[in-house]
Amino acid sequence: MQSLNLHLKILIFILVSLGLLITGYQIVVLDIPVKEDETDDIWSLDAKFEFQASSGVPIKAQMFIPPLNQDYISLNESFISNNYGVSINQVQSNRRVTWSARRASGTQTLYYRLVLTKRYSTAPTVAPPPPARQPIVLDGPEQVAADALISPIRQHSADIETFISETIRRVNDITDDNVKLLLGGSASALDKARVIDVLLSNARIPLELVHTIRLESTANQEPELWLRSHNGERWLYYHPETGQQGIPDNRLIWWTGSQPLFNLEGGRQGRVSFTINNSEMNALRLAKMTTENRASALLEYSLYGLPLHAQHVYQVMIMIPVGVLVILILRNLIGIQTLGTFTPVLIALAFRETQVGWGIVLFTLITALGLSLRSYLEHLKLQMLPRLSIVLTFVVLVIAAISLFSHKLGIERALSVSLFPMVILTMTIERLSITWEERGGSHSFKVALGTLVAATLAHLLMTIPELTYFVFTFPAILLVLVGFMLAMGRYRGYRLTELMRFKALTQQG
Amino acid sequence: MFFLKTLKALKAHGVMGINRRNADYVLKYNKRHLYPVVDDKILTKERAIAAGIHVPELYGIIETEKDFDKFDSIVDKHKDFVIKPAQGAGGDGIIVIADRYEGMFKTVSGKIISRDEIGHHISSILSGLYSLGGHRDRVIIEYRVTPDPIFKSISYEGVPDIRIIVLMGYPVMAMVRLPTRQSSGKANLHQGAIGVGVDLATGITLKGTWLNKKISKHPDTANPVDGVQLPDWDGFMALAASCYELSGLGYIGVDLVLDQDQGPLILELNARPGLNIQIANDAGLTHRCHAVERHLAALKKTGHEPETPEQRVAYAQKHFSQPRSIKPEDPPASPESSNSENPA
Repeated sequence: MQSLNLHLKILIFILVSLGLLITGYQIVVLDIPVKEDETDDIWSLDAKFEFQASSGVPIKAQMFIPPLNQDYISLNESFISNNYGVSINQVQSNRRVTWSARRASGTQTLYYRLVLTKRYSTAPTVAPPPPARQPIVLDGPEQVAADALISPIRQHSADIETFISETIRRVNDITDDNVKLLLGGSASALDKARVIDVLLSNARIPLELVHTIRLESTANQEPELWLRSHNGERWLYYHPETGQQGIPDNRLIWWTGSQPLFNLEGGRQGRVSFTINNSEMNALRLAKMTTENRASALLEYSLYGLPLHAQHVYQVMIMIPVGVLVILILRNLIGIQTLGTFTPVLIALAFRETQVGWGIVLFTLITALGLSLRSYLEHLKLQMLPRLSIVLTFVVLVIAAISLFSHKLGIERALSVSLFPMVILTMTIERLSITWEERGGSHSFKVALGTLVAATLAHLLMTIPELTYFVFTFPAILLVLVGFMLAMGRYRGYRLTELMRFKALTQQG
Repeated sequence: MFFLKTLKALKAHGVMGINRRNADYVLKYNKRHLYPVVDDKILTKERAIAAGIHVPELYGIIETEKDFDKFDSIVDKHKDFVIKPAQGAGGDGIIVIADRYEGMFKTVSGKIISRDEIGHHISSILSGLYSLGGHRDRVIIEYRVTPDPIFKSISYEGVPDIRIIVLMGYPVMAMVRLPTRQSSGKANLHQGAIGVGVDLATGITLKGTWLNKKISKHPDTANPVDGVQLPDWDGFMALAASCYELSGLGYIGVDLVLDQDQGPLILELNARPGLNIQIANDAGLTHRCHAVERHLAALKKTGHEPETPEQRVAYAQKHFSQPRSIKPEDPPASPESSNSENPA
């Protein structure tokens, strides 16, 4: 007995922890959403590269594309081009696509599309810190201007961070003559970045130009220039014109460095335009898509791997243990009497066809009619099998009649009763009538009511969409249920109704 | 906190619930393959007869519809008899014929029924109307028990029977089931019969239960149900204890009757005896069952032979005595037998 208990305890422990572990693994590691309606942002970035091909010359069009090791992970990356060879190579820390063609004419359009999502990304790999740099040597007057700028900056700053901020502030003050000289007339962001770079190089502070794309639904977006520097610990991002520090979350790094976005040989009037699209996607589908890229086969072997129609069946089936659990609790813990063991679960399944309200009405109506027929047949002294057959036929007729009436009355809902399992109803009637004979009317009423209550509860629980989704997605949770059922198998405590039944024993005298 | 209080009180009383009965006793001590012995009254009877245990005499068995031809020859020599399903439960499907009248039969309640009606009833039994699993059954025709007149004052019609719960051959609790008007002469508690506890040592009745309530008077006769000395109580105890060897089942309810002429007889055995006997005795089964289990474990440890039925009865009478509330005229209870539900 003791060993059996230990055995049982170990078994329960194994099952429950296995169920929880698998479910936890699915939720935490595989990032499978716990709720069905969770959605995630999906960003679709289109870079459209247009140019005029020069006839008779081989074409080589190169363009930077985003590195794939950022906060976002790529769901899909595609290069759409007619008659072009495509190759991707790594240039320093950037990725670059090269489209090449022997000859082409007229307007050429090349597409690059990247689909990204923030969820499910593994920890981003941080770009390594840049090497120490040498000062950029300038010509006479420019060097003087640079030196004139650097010395007050140095005075007004405490560390690399404040030094950079101060530099950006000064460079953006275009009334300053030194700045004017260094900018050389034009004051684009790129020029300012160049000047900032020069000044910082003289202070031996590394600087990198970062070209970013805003993740906003926009058409014809221009890449936005940011600067970043490394303070020995982490990257610091700055906006070259406003001096704003820290890059907003929705910026995606497209490429780094001072090189232009694209490079075209054998073509002219090159132009790249960006279109960003945002869509939401069911988190679960997303999880499937992203895990396909990874080595986990667990989701692949889940119930979602089944054909769709089979999935629908299993969505019903996998909830049956939950319904059974309800019956178990109602019977063994509370002590409600039901007709048979699993008849309530079958009735609960039948309620799926009719919805609960109608189900209860129809169940009560048909059972009551069937019972009255059954009690009439009792007088005729028939044998069991013919009697059952008659009741079954009668049930079919009653269902047909109800459907017909309700159709004429315009209540289409009752039509669904045609699928209300008739054999279940017939057996219910038969067993109820036997209970009636053996235990009396009040007892059979109690049993019928208990059955109906149990079936309704089981049905309500079995059809909670969130729960259905959860059990279907994390079937391992059923192992936890089995653990509970095992524990219930040795439950020796009182049932709730027994507290009432044995109440007399607690009274004195 | 009604529930918590009741729960504690019931636990303290050692009241056994259905879950505990099933898990710790029925499932543990009753091997499934032995169930037919108790579920089929013919098998029980055969076993009992082979073991020399008293049962109501079997007049005949009807197994098929064709067999009904034998009916007349079976009942030919008997004025009164009982027709019952071999696998029935809870007293359903039983007809008790008390007399003949103009070639017809008269039941105990005075209703006249024809041979054809009996034929139909037998056919219903055969088709399994009253059997446990609804499968085909056999019909027993047997001796009609004449209840001992001792029950006259506390019973309404019908035959009172005595239910003794026996664990591993040790009687642990007993009650008399008295038919009432409400139970229409049947001795079934759920049909409204009264259960009256019986002191295992003396065979004197205690107070009773009726529909889960405690009572001390019969609702029909208004006579007190307690303080009645059942005759030949040791005979009952010995019969019940021997049912362990007879059936092989460790936890059973033994139903016995007291016949006016033949004394204690075994009616049937039950592998899942009900729990209302606790209300009838105002005592819980769990403590007593634990005592028996401890006793058995101690015997095993010391390498003793299993006890004989006589020794088991003696043990039960010594330890499970429960004299009714002391009245002035009662002799003082011996210190040994006074309410020692929990022997150390």
